[in-house]
Amino acid sequence: MTCAWMSSAWMSSFAAATLAIGADVAPLPPAAGRTVDFTRDIQPILAGSCISCHGPEKQKGSYRLDSRAAALKGGETYDPAIKPGDSAGSPLIRLVAGLVPDEKMPAKGDALTADQIALLRAWIDQGARWADDAGADADPIRSHWSYRPVVRPPVPGAGATDVSGAVVGGGRKPVEGSVKAVSSNPIDSFIAAKLAENGLTLSPEADRVTLIRRLFLVMLGMPPAPDDVAAFVGDREPLAFERLVDKVLADARYGERWGRHWLDVVRFAESNGFETNRERPNGWRFRDYVIAAFNSDKPYDQFIREQIAGDALGTDVATGFLVGGPVDIVGSPDIVLTSQQRADELDDMVGTTGTAFLGLTLGCARCHSHKFDPISHREYHAMTAVFAGVKHGERALPLPADRQAAVAEADARIAELERRLAPFIARPAAAGAGGKLRPAVDPVRNEDRFAPVGTRALRFTILATSGGEPCIDELEVWSGDRNVALASAGTKASASGTLPGLEIHKLEHINDGRVGNNRSWISSEAGRGWIRLDFAKPERIDRVVWGRDREGGFKDRLATGYRIEVLTAADTWDPVASSDDRAKAKETPSKPAPPVYVFDGLPAAEAAQARQWSAGLDSARKERAGAAKAAMVYSGNFTQPGPTFRLHRGDPMQKREPVPPGTLAIFRPLTLATNAPEQERRVRLADWIASPDNPLTARVMVNRVWQHQFGAGLVTTPNDFGKNGARPSHPELLDWLASEWVAPSSASGSTTAARHPWSIKHLQRLILTSATWRQSSGPLASARKIDATSRLLWRFPPRRMEAEGIRDSILAVSGNLDRTAGGPSFFLHDVDRENVYHYHPKEKFTPAETRRMVYAFKVRMEQDGIFGAFDCPDGSLVAPKRSMSTTPLQALNLFNSDFILQQAEIFAARLQNEAGDDARAQVRTAWQLAFNRAPAPGELEAATGFARAEGLPALCRAVLNANEFLFIP
Amino acid sequence: MSEPTDLRRSPLLDRRRFFADTGIGLGAIALTHLLGRQGLLAANVSGKETIRPVIPPGQPYAPRKPHFTGRAKNVLVIFCSGACSQLDTFDHKPELIRRHGQPMPGSDKLITFQGEQGALAKSPWEFKPRGKSGKMISDLVPHIGALADDLCFIHSMQGKTNTHGPGENFMSTCNALDGFPSLGAWVTYALGSEDQSLPAYVAIPDPRGKPQNSVNNWAPGFLPAAFQGTEFNATHPIRNLARPGSVPAGSDAATRRFLRELNERHAERFPGDTELAARIASYELAARMQLTIPEVADLSSEPAHILKLYGADEGGSKILETRAAFARNCILARRLVEKGVRFVQVFNGAYQTGGEGVSNWDGHKDLLNQYSQHGPVLDKPTAGLLIDLKQRGLLDDTLVVWCTEFGRMPTFQKGSQGRDHNPSGFTCWMAGAGVKKGFSHGATDEFGYKAVEDVTTVYDLHATILHLLGLDHERLTYYHNGLERRLTDVHGQVVKAVLS
Repeated sequence: MTCAWMSSAWMSSFAAATLAIGADVAPLPPAAGRTVDFTRDIQPILAGSCISCHGPEKQKGSYRLDSRAAALKGGETYDPAIKPGDSAGSPLIRLVAGLVPDEKMPAKGDALTADQIALLRAWIDQGARWADDAGADADPIRSHWSYRPVVRPPVPGAGATDVSGAVVGGGRKPVEGSVKAVSSNPIDSFIAAKLAENGLTLSPEADRVTLIRRLFLVMLGMPPAPDDVAAFVGDREPLAFERLVDKVLADARYGERWGRHWLDVVRFAESNGFETNRERPNGWRFRDYVIAAFNSDKPYDQFIREQIAGDALGTDVATGFLVGGPVDIVGSPDIVLTSQQRADELDDMVGTTGTAFLGLTLGCARCHSHKFDPISHREYHAMTAVFAGVKHGERALPLPADRQAAVAEADARIAELERRLAPFIARPAAAGAGGKLRPAVDPVRNEDRFAPVGTRALRFTILATSGGEPCIDELEVWSGDRNVALASAGTKASASGTLPGLEIHKLEHINDGRVGNNRSWISSEAGRGWIRLDFAKPERIDRVVWGRDREGGFKDRLATGYRIEVLTAADTWDPVASSDDRAKAKETPSKPAPPVYVFDGLPAAEAAQARQWSAGLDSARKERAGAAKAAMVYSGNFTQPGPTFRLHRGDPMQKREPVPPGTLAIFRPLTLATNAPEQERRVRLADWIASPDNPLTARVMVNRVWQHQFGAGLVTTPNDFGKNGARPSHPELLDWLASEWVAPSSASGSTTAARHPWSIKHLQRLILTSATWRQSSGPLASARKIDATSRLLWRFPPRRMEAEGIRDSILAVSGNLDRTAGGPSFFLHDVDRENVYHYHPKEKFTPAETRRMVYAFKVRMEQDGIFGAFDCPDGSLVAPKRSMSTTPLQALNLFNSDFILQQAEIFAARLQNEAGDDARAQVRTAWQLAFNRAPAPGELEAATGFARAEGLPALCRAVLNANEFLFIP
Repeated sequence: MSEPTDLRRSPLLDRRRFFADTGIGLGAIALTHLLGRQGLLAANVSGKETIRPVIPPGQPYAPRKPHFTGRAKNVLVIFCSGACSQLDTFDHKPELIRRHGQPMPGSDKLITFQGEQGALAKSPWEFKPRGKSGKMISDLVPHIGALADDLCFIHSMQGKTNTHGPGENFMSTCNALDGFPSLGAWVTYALGSEDQSLPAYVAIPDPRGKPQNSVNNWAPGFLPAAFQGTEFNATHPIRNLARPGSVPAGSDAATRRFLRELNERHAERFPGDTELAARIASYELAARMQLTIPEVADLSSEPAHILKLYGADEGGSKILETRAAFARNCILARRLVEKGVRFVQVFNGAYQTGGEGVSNWDGHKDLLNQYSQHGPVLDKPTAGLLIDLKQRGLLDDTLVVWCTEFGRMPTFQKGSQGRDHNPSGFTCWMAGAGVKKGFSHGATDEFGYKAVEDVTTVYDLHATILHLLGLDHERLTYYHNGLERRLTDVHGQVVKAVLS
């Protein structure tokens, strides 16, 4: 968000302040020579001179002095403001003493007296203790519930809760056909205990038809087929429902339904937004990744790691998360504009990471330290440094194994043919002497050929790079058809220095025979470095082959200036090749041209043989190119970034001190070197978030799952677990679930199905099989008086389905649903692809638009013409929960659109087909398909009469508009 | 299953009970107490206690009281898409005319949206004194100029982005990014509407197409979808409004009745569940809209002199036909205001088609030719609308706001005959309820480049509009994603100087 732009003395120039802090101590009044009492000595000073601008009412410069933590922490410019034990070094003292030019505090009113300053100094020197040393209470990290570690709470009244006996209330009998549940599910104990405190009880179990309908709508996003219902209603096994739950969780529709929820959380869409709003034709791969992750029950910690740093884990598509948000691609020579655009992109990444995984509104700290939560302005920028190397765009995916094998096979053939053809290479004129330059260095692969020379050692010295410390993935030295550089051949590698601490960048990778960024070497110095290879025995060598990333992913850190030398018998270095005869490196290096072969003057047979090889080489290259053609995806594009700076008031034109990558102090600190490798930054952040000890991660996701299973979360502000968010309705239950989720117990009331830590399906199974989830949704006037919104869950709260659920259900019931899963999206809009894209909602529909709505091309700004009105978010902002408004436009769309009339016709044809010509049979079938029940006697007559008078399609139109059809019971 | 009962005795048809049971009664209050302090109830960042309107389910447009007695009941915004040049319309700069052809001091270092600056360029249109106030307004908009004594200009507007998408977002939502609720959405969220058979908020796109940032300009953002602007104009009716052609009227009504029976039968099983009742009510409102909207959109009852006043009666050339179509949109706007629609947004200019500035005010390269078409399309219909509102007494309760996403440079772009983007200084004007007449507030520098006197931000403009409606922009909030969000974020001050 964009925040306070207003000026205040406290916020003025950081540079000036920094200078002042380093100034002479002499003018400070000495500290008082006695023990200071906060309440007696200090509080009156703060109350009299500070609090009116830095307290609960106003927080000038984002600084407040009404709690110890906040007072110490500082505001926008000074962080910290008070250093306990060091009054002379505390900005607060320097400001009240007037040592910072133009920033004397208090800004209004009388200056503090020397005595007052002396007291403040003594107070700080003595530890800056607060009243009764209640510092712990005032420290939000220790005092706010969601920042405290998750501790598994005891289950209330541990032991089995006889749900049917103990907690059924209201004088109502369990509905006939319901299963008598004796619950040992801890969820019920927590819920029942809270209900009991409020004079409420759980409702009896819902009837089986309601149960299966609810289960399908909530978990799969469409109603069950009549056969599913009949099978369940007829299943007399005691664990019939548990088995049904397992079946539903294994259904492929599950991932489509729950993947959609996650796509809301990560603001996924397939167009750029803003006025250009261009398409991202390969954005759908991320959507498919998410759906597959839910269907395969990918452990959530892994799901987190892959989305933040999937490129390090072989799941590159998952990094579509990072760049899923809107991006303004309008270019301009105006640096203010382009800097702002980039700052907005990073803010989107930081903000979405914070809300999605941590339930924290990090974006609030963009302009100044967070007003409610312990997130400093500096920490915000430490997070931006984590993502500073992430850019939007399409990129190639790594090749699948079979294609890699094909490439390797072609490479082998090419190498062999090149070897045979080597004698026929047309020699270029001597380089440098007016001859043509060799192509510029290529990040993927470079070959330096020279006249064969005998030597014991070779040195590759890097003199310049495209930026940062140089990286080389493999250095090959060839003698004919042997790579003599390999460590396995006995060659020893040494180097000027290696960037420390990184698994993927080590010296031994330079000659391990494996290419690619993950097996590479990085110099310890920016812009230079050298590698020396000492061979096991003297070798006669003729070329060196090297690259930055032979897999083509990375183009940064490229050695653009270099020299290759060999060791002479006299222990001196002789240059054999260098970058001097190469073209200057361009931003996008062109591929080096293949050598030209000449067969002039050869005997006819030899020439024919050589030409055959040459032709074979051409076709091998073509095959290679075909096999190496990678699928494209819209996902993170990564380059090593320069330093990140704190931006004063979030303004990209006001850079302040550099900030190394890192994250929040609320949990185990994470700090990295300012020049930490790009990928490493994200890997480390992902590990930090995905830790079972992170107090927020599990709580936040457990709450999301609960929210979609019950319609509301235990915390009703799913993206804000901070101090300004809502408190959990059942804090112990939330913690019990979070703890059970990351470390499943053996006695957690689940069936025999496998469970593993962070298993979302395990968590859901636990919830679904609880008596709480299975209870009836029928209202009860007495309970409503106490808890109108059913927040304490005295019943299952019924709710309207979301846009996608309604559309999918209509298609499923009419029999018109195309179940094709995955792949490129279908369009609900006609698209004008001008410079700026325009999307016009379709009004006529064909079978091409009958797949589930999660597969519809997700356009920013423009909604679907019919279902958009049902509070469908457009992916411009994260949407942790959807509002549920009821509007006349929804009614118009659902009653009058061509889509509905068409589906009503198709539904009617289905009824005719399945039930024949008997109107009563048609109505019964319609009711079974749409409502999963038989029509009541009065209903049957009314509906049959209506269908006879107005036609079956009219009946279907009404049914598809019915509340019963749209509501989760 | 419950037994069917007499539907007329259904509690859902009892309106008093319906409102009493909206789920925000005693039960909800008791629960808040049970759960202890709710973060949600906390004060917002401005430190003032927030006011979050309570929206009854099924009655999202029920009229709601303002925070204090406002001067305006309705707002009518005329939005010129593409960034209409202040220097060719309302911001008269003698120094610019004098120094035409000379470089602007400091402009050699100035890189604007498309790059470098050429020389200072006076407007191709002459400025003349208008009305009793003698306000200098250009010949590009003479009809509007003639009404100068009714207008309240703000010449010191400042934005913070110089691209159209973010710029339109900023002017319509107070946020340059996508995804935030528009001013109209905030206003209808706060106040509902006076008329329950029309949408509370209508967006009228230009006859040439939607504005550049399209529906973002009337988006609900994170507010409930009920507060989205309903989009239609005199040419394109509301989608799905009309009864489908294939369904006879009698059958349509019968289906509606049957649906209501189904729903009421179902609702008996959930007595007191207001969401169900709300959906039933929404179909009733939809049915009313099906009658009222075509009626209000049907301009055939407008007499000839009114059509003439707006310029809706002339054709024969592309400009005149476009003008007539825009004029019909203006008449539609007046009819909606007359019916009590709370917020109406009329767009002049569409997204870019056929090249830069052809279909909107984005005159980078060929200002003279392009504005020669856009000026007349805007001028007479807008003036007609103001005159018509005034003669019907509607200006007493209606605030008219003319705006654009940002201004343009006093220089021509290097090597071209047009002006680049300029968010540093531009003009908006208001008229009607609660604002001064024949008044000008703020000023740009001598060339009209940068606001220097009484700088007015877009936040200030929005704060002022809310104020005129009786709303405190610092207290009207909606909780979203960790914050009590405000239209004006943490900014904005009411421009007291323009209040009458």
